[in-house]
Amino acid sequence: MRVKSSHYQSGPIVWAAIIAGTCLILFLFQKILWLVVPFVLALIIYYALLPLKLRLLLGGMSHDHAAGWVSSGAFGVLVLIGLLGFPKLFAEAVSWHDSAMRYLDGGIQFLNASIIQLEKRFEMLAQARASAEVARQIAEFSAHFAEKYIPAIALTIAAWSPSLLLAPFLAFFMLRDGWRFRKFLARAVPNAYFERALFLMDQVDSTARLYFIGLIKLTLLDTFCLALGLWLIGVSGALALGLLTAVLAWVPYIGSVLGCLLVVLVVATDFPGNPGVAYAAIALFIFVRLLDDFFFMPLTIGKSLNMHPLLTVLMIFVGGAVAGVPGLMLVLPVLGVAMVLGETIGMLVNDPRLRARHAHELALRQQLVTKDLRLP
Amino acid sequence: MSWFSLARQPLKINHRLAASALLCNLSERELKIVEAFVHDRQFLAGEVVFDAGEEGQALYIIVSGAVEVCLPDQYETPVAALKSGDFFGELGLLDDVPRSAQIRASERSELAVLFRGDFERLMASHAQIASKIALQLARHLGLRLRQMLVQTADSVALQ
Repeated sequence: MRVKSSHYQSGPIVWAAIIAGTCLILFLFQKILWLVVPFVLALIIYYALLPLKLRLLLGGMSHDHAAGWVSSGAFGVLVLIGLLGFPKLFAEAVSWHDSAMRYLDGGIQFLNASIIQLEKRFEMLAQARASAEVARQIAEFSAHFAEKYIPAIALTIAAWSPSLLLAPFLAFFMLRDGWRFRKFLARAVPNAYFERALFLMDQVDSTARLYFIGLIKLTLLDTFCLALGLWLIGVSGALALGLLTAVLAWVPYIGSVLGCLLVVLVVATDFPGNPGVAYAAIALFIFVRLLDDFFFMPLTIGKSLNMHPLLTVLMIFVGGAVAGVPGLMLVLPVLGVAMVLGETIGMLVNDPRLRARHAHELALRQQLVTKDLRLP
Repeated sequence: MSWFSLARQPLKINHRLAASALLCNLSERELKIVEAFVHDRQFLAGEVVFDAGEEGQALYIIVSGAVEVCLPDQYETPVAALKSGDFFGELGLLDDVPRSAQIRASERSELAVLFRGDFERLMASHAQIASKIALQLARHLGLRLRQMLVQTADSVALQ
């Protein structure tokens, strides 16, 4: 008798294994983060370039040529951007420090002004001398910022740069040999499990594809909404700020806080002595985040993972606890893949007919290879 | 029947999938493209390819060897035999319907498997090839339908 796949429902043991597997993968990923980050970036590049490769395939090109042309085209665009943008970037590099300090000063002034306003309204804060205490702590932080954090940041950037160069390299081979790798993996699967394994690979591929394409769409939507809002408020560099904030939002919670801080710093510096604009920017930021959480996310990424919202939120916290910031970033795609793997493996293990067919195949092969081997 | 008789004629195209009734309308270049989307499986005599009631996900083309079709609870008496160039499991390419019969290799066989997801990718990337395959599939299903109608009419006449 067959156990039909459509009747199979994962039980608590399978779900416990899925969550434990996700935590284990995140823990291991944390140990090889230098490889995981370029791999994730490569996947994003791969899924962004895949439609172009398919266009070329449709035009009659082979897989190898299409991958070569698409990769060369993307590389060419990057080189062009580099050639056009780097001279300006290097020319302005000298003033980066001044600009950073200017934005930091603007932010501090805004914070001080806000606390003084609050002190005027709330007697309790005035008695606690909140503005003086905050000013003292900020001054302390600023005085030791350079010696404490700059060398560590510079070392991290130097250590990560070579591994990040792996991303385009990996993306090229994913584009060129992804389909061969898929066939290679399928060859290792016994006949009895073959169709189910193909289905599993297809589900993993489509989950990952929908997730990363969803992430790209979400980033574009966030960028557009934030840039439009900031432009209407009158903030300089609205598009760049919107893009940077949308990319920071890839890290759940922490990224959003950093993005909001960045927006406030820029707005407070652009409009000194006018805290109303900064409050408007904060309101805009919260509005876009709400749009993102309740409207854009279900339309883009949520569709791909099809998870219960409570599980999603809980797993984000678990991911953060197990693997820190990388855990926050990677927990949802890893959980999506672990779900497909766990449910399919659970189904295979619980299917006695498939196991019997595999045993039958092995017995037939044994019979075939031993039929002329008789002891005298 | 005339559609499928073409597949059994000696073809000039030197490709292992060219003899298939499903892919006989494709050029050598198109067959090479399809080759990238199919998986090769080897089955021993007596081995089950798929069971009746199993959720179908793929279509199988017999590259070499032969298989037999067995209805549920009649596994000792196959109702049909398929040989090199034939294909089966075509409904699995179209929908999530359960397999209607068991397929068992009657001799050592090499099968080319076209998975539904791969067929959808083929439709997205090579619409012309996929439409040729879909047309051939529709003809095959039409032929099967006509055969069933004739059988039903015969059984009604006998009653």
